[in-house]
Amino acid sequence: MLRQVKPKNARSKRELEKRAPHEKENPKVTLFLSGSKTSQILKLAVNDLAKLKKPWIEKFTKKNDVHPFEDAASLEFWSQKNDTSLLALSLNSKKRPHCLTLIRTFDHKILDMLEFYINPETLRQLQQFKNRKPAEGMKPMITFHGSAFENPNQTKYTLAKSLLLDFLRGEEASEVDVLGLQYMISVSVAEEEDGQPPPPIHLRGYLIKTKKSGQKLPRVEVEEMGPRIDFTLGRERFAEEDMWKAAIKKPKGTEPRTKKNVDMDIMGDKVGKIHLPKQDFSEMQTRKMKGLKRSRNEEIEDAQTIVAEEDDGEETTTPKRSRF
Amino acid sequence: MADTEMTDGVPLNGPSPTDSTLASRIKDGAMDVSSTIDTASGSRLPVTVEKPNPYEFDLGNLLAIDTNIVPRDPSEEQLSAIARDAAQVLINQLLTTCKVTSNADGVTLKLPLPTTALPREKPIPTPKPPTKWELFAAKKGIKDKKREGKMVFDEEKQDWVPKWGYKGKNKEGEDDWLVEVDDKKEKETGEAGDKRAENRQARKDRVKRNERKQRANDRNARKNG
Repeated sequence: MLRQVKPKNARSKRELEKRAPHEKENPKVTLFLSGSKTSQILKLAVNDLAKLKKPWIEKFTKKNDVHPFEDAASLEFWSQKNDTSLLALSLNSKKRPHCLTLIRTFDHKILDMLEFYINPETLRQLQQFKNRKPAEGMKPMITFHGSAFENPNQTKYTLAKSLLLDFLRGEEASEVDVLGLQYMISVSVAEEEDGQPPPPIHLRGYLIKTKKSGQKLPRVEVEEMGPRIDFTLGRERFAEEDMWKAAIKKPKGTEPRTKKNVDMDIMGDKVGKIHLPKQDFSEMQTRKMKGLKRSRNEEIEDAQTIVAEEDDGEETTTPKRSRF
Repeated sequence: MADTEMTDGVPLNGPSPTDSTLASRIKDGAMDVSSTIDTASGSRLPVTVEKPNPYEFDLGNLLAIDTNIVPRDPSEEQLSAIARDAAQVLINQLLTTCKVTSNADGVTLKLPLPTTALPREKPIPTPKPPTKWELFAAKKGIKDKKREGKMVFDEEKQDWVPKWGYKGKNKEGEDDWLVEVDDKKEKETGEAGDKRAENRQARKDRVKRNERKQRANDRNARKNG
């Protein structure tokens, strides 16, 4: 699509290297953009989501005439141009009111997408909750409630879970500061029932407060901080199987090596299996005393027998072929 | 990272007398076993959550999954109660299973690797295919020579000179003040020829040849990789 650019100077070379595929990837950047028509509700919701996502965001301010389910070529182009693998397109129409489409790309090709229709009545912004907000770039705790998210088959809800988790989780970290556990995003959905409209997804942001419980663990309380968004799900596009397979492939050597022969038994005790080589008793140090010492004559005899054995060995080997 | 907060409001990590953060709790001894005994007589807030279905965790993503039934059209109180329980369980799980280290910077938790399969944004990079020389060197068992800087000692001048570049060693024989005339060549072609220019041309050709090889290797890498 885009031509292969050869870097002309060191700066552009560095930039291209940064964008090239890496084994350990940088956090996914989200591009927020709007379609030909958008709404105030969408703008407010997107603003709040962008605040949660900061600093890994890009924003387009102008409107673009895109319809991802009809033609996604320009989205792929923007994804490549801005090096963003998540896109959030806000598009408002009579048929699909307040529709936020989350799009995920792999190698700058559309992987999967899902439409979230925002319920305008229940939307509350971050601002509307008068409390302290966590600092930018904090890793949130995320919870998903409801069995619909855990369907073994691929459904809209499992896709929503995967997308929201990818969208919200922030930077991958091997270590977190306990101070950084400041807020939680909770996503819940009621049970799916036959004959009823599919249940909406409730996205809530909570601050974590801890109290002394008088026990080892603290008592946790939550306080809503926003945003409060309710979605119903619209059209979806699942990932193609081979593309998904390629996308979830893990680079070699990242898995922690399982320690051989170390196990945990049912009681939770660590059990090790040890393999010992055969013991060589001839090397064993025994008690030193004169009577056990070998005499000089014996040693010479031993050496002679060894030499004799070697001679035998040579005789048994096949004779070399004579050269002509 | 934490220079600005999300929106209006005061940053959470600023010191405030009323705010009680988890880290200070732990530093105060919330994780110590002894504190349990001390305060055992006081009123206890429950820290455990009883649910019909157990929670699942992906601590690498700080994620908890709750498969218990959420009521249809839940009220905000119901939702926040569900969230509180999950937060309690998640923090319990984090504090009990992850290794807690505390130093001058604060208390940190060592997280396991994420277990939820999330797609990468770009494919895994393929290693660069070896060049023709690398293949040949591997076959012959030739090891890379260790390079020791740009300067080399010139026995003639008794001084250090650069290996290449301005007044470089590779330009030897290109600006000699006196060169021997090649008799044999003069007899054959009728003219003496310029030894200096020939040497220079030979060096230029070597550079060109190397560039050609580089391009061929790049082309091969693109075609096969």
